Amino acid sequence: MQPAIKSLKSLAVTLGALLLTSSLVQAATEIEFWTNQTQSDRMKIIETLASTFEALNNDIKIKVVPVDENEMATQMAAAAAAGSLPNVIEAGSELLLAFGEEGIVDIESNGKMLQKIGKKRFFSGALNMLQAPNGKDFYGVPMHGWIQGIWYRKDWFAERGLAAPDTWENIEKAARELTDKSKNQYGILIGTKPEGYTEQVFTHFALSNGARQFNAKGELTFNSPQMLETLKYYQTLAQFNPPGPQTWRARDYYLQGKMGMFFYSTYIMDDLALAEVAKGSLTSEHFEGLSGADFDADLVKNTGFVPVITNKTAASYGVLQGLAALKSTPAETTATEKFVEYLYDPYAYITFLHMAPGGMNPMLADIPDHPNYLKDPKGIFKTYGTDAIKTIINGFENIQTFTVVDGKAFPESGQIFAKQIIPRMVYSVVFEGVSPEQAIARAEMEMQDLIGR
Amino acid sequence: MSDRIVAQESRLGYRLLAPAFLVIVLLILYPIMFNLYLSFFDVQLDGNKTWVGVSNYLKLLSDQTFYHSLGTTLIYLAGTVVGTTVLGLAVALLLNEEFPLRNLVRGLVLLPYFAPVISVVFGWQFIFDPVNGIYNHVMVEELGLMSERQNVIGEPDSAIWVVIVFDVWKHFPIAFLLILAKLQSIPKDQYEAAAIDGYSAWGRFIHVTLPELRFVLGTVILLRLIWNLNRFEDVYLLAPNVETLPIYIYYRAFTGVIDQGFAAAVAVVQLVFLAGLIWLYVRKVLKW
Repeated sequence: MQPAIKSLKSLAVTLGALLLTSSLVQAATEIEFWTNQTQSDRMKIIETLASTFEALNNDIKIKVVPVDENEMATQMAAAAAAGSLPNVIEAGSELLLAFGEEGIVDIESNGKMLQKIGKKRFFSGALNMLQAPNGKDFYGVPMHGWIQGIWYRKDWFAERGLAAPDTWENIEKAARELTDKSKNQYGILIGTKPEGYTEQVFTHFALSNGARQFNAKGELTFNSPQMLETLKYYQTLAQFNPPGPQTWRARDYYLQGKMGMFFYSTYIMDDLALAEVAKGSLTSEHFEGLSGADFDADLVKNTGFVPVITNKTAASYGVLQGLAALKSTPAETTATEKFVEYLYDPYAYITFLHMAPGGMNPMLADIPDHPNYLKDPKGIFKTYGTDAIKTIINGFENIQTFTVVDGKAFPESGQIFAKQIIPRMVYSVVFEGVSPEQAIARAEMEMQDLIGR
Repeated sequence: MSDRIVAQESRLGYRLLAPAFLVIVLLILYPIMFNLYLSFFDVQLDGNKTWVGVSNYLKLLSDQTFYHSLGTTLIYLAGTVVGTTVLGLAVALLLNEEFPLRNLVRGLVLLPYFAPVISVVFGWQFIFDPVNGIYNHVMVEELGLMSERQNVIGEPDSAIWVVIVFDVWKHFPIAFLLILAKLQSIPKDQYEAAAIDGYSAWGRFIHVTLPELRFVLGTVILLRLIWNLNRFEDVYLLAPNVETLPIYIYYRAFTGVIDQGFAAAVAVVQLVFLAGLIWLYVRKVLKW
């Protein structure tokens, strides 16, 4: 009896020890990935990519956390204060530069990842936007990007004999012509709410007027005659906006046929094409009593796109999303590097980009020629045609923002972006009766305060 | 002997108090002290702090937007506290009368209070949407009361009033509930006596109802002041352009490049303001 119990005991001890060691061996490194892609269908794709990666590397667990792009800076601040920063984030280049300057980005790790993926494969314009001021380090790896432009009703323009909205003059004329407030019709949508969209639209106009935040020497030159002219023009255009402060959400008014032009990224290609799909099922055949609905059967066909706006100079504007590894423990850093490398594997990368064909454009120059790339699951590339897509992607070679001057990035511009000084300036002029001269002077003072020079 | 019992009892007392004391220290005192501490520093994202003395407070005193948000807060407090109290009182008086289905109506009146904030906020935003909302449709097209469509929630001047009306609508039921409970306990004979003394309905309200309600009204006003001075979610979700103090602090602490030392300083000012308000109220109005 006694020996039996004894051996049973030792068996249990051995088993327990075995279990303990095996669980120690299997203890997976968990890394947290914050993504801007908050929509549930996109989350599903990212989750799928992450679980595929986990299946290939069973010692690593990926926790995907969706964070709204307007909340990213806020959430990062809160996480930093709480000491619970994620290991890797997807965010706009301006924010990544700002985070880089705050000292929370792991520069060494980003450099290593760029090297492994192949630095030469990236569009050089994209790499510039994530470069540290020292000219050799990077605050992130370019992931995908979009181009902004004016989307407009070609049919309405043709009816009234208006020229395509590619110059300041043409835009203002068309906006004036297409606005009829008594009929609830509006000429244009530009951003006037104090948030990112407003800065993006304003920047596009400022660039087309040769206005800059910094000169090549890195001096702040925001309060310039060109900037002032832009702000005054912007104030004029805002009269033809739907009432009150507006942001990108008002693009719905365009889909409803209540607006003539709106600024938007190439992300809308997806939405426009989806509206086309939706319209196919939302008919009176399927829904009794559905009549006079706002779905325009020919909206895609009747929509034109102008990515380059000209006043003193021609300018295109876009936003780059990058991945950045943040400072973590060595085990987490290794896992993060593996995960990021995996995301740039052509199959994983193309799956990611196909979440929003047209909106998420590749930053690796060789991807557009990949046989899988133009075969997106929703067939959107087919709707628009290969040429249109390639034009958009090539725009990324010479994309402009306030951040980069003569190929050199100014992270201060990222800080200014994060503080929303420009959209607040626009808001104060349009809604609070502040004069453009005063608003611009105040904005420059705030920028000066912020960057301390 | 009795000394020992007293000592033992007081020791037991301390032990019984300890958990509550600990919770208060951890969850209330510590954050307040930490906030006070932060307000003297320039706080960096990576956790580095630099001592800056009272410069955060000096910056605050010279900040125009701070005074603006202080003003907004006062308007918001006055509008919502008066609004909920008056509406709550009126509805309580009305529903204290006998009529058929009274209990059902009393239940329905509570609905706004129980509805989740986020869903009613979306509802209100849709109602006031400048292009598609029913408010503009009725005011401009049906009634012709306004010549042009307006973004009532978007325009900062009108948004504050929408936020006040929203708060009154959402929170008057709590005032109603508290006042109704007290109304039901006022003895009938007091009203009869007042009637015999020749008081009209208005006189009975002034001389019987109001004095009886004094403490309940005091409680309602006090609670509403405290709640609304700190109220964040309703205002921020419905109209983020209405910068009351909590929203001003949020923008400073968490949006853009953080300025948490500065935000902490504003929070300290808000705390002092709150404490002062409560003191004034308790001492001068309630005379407790």
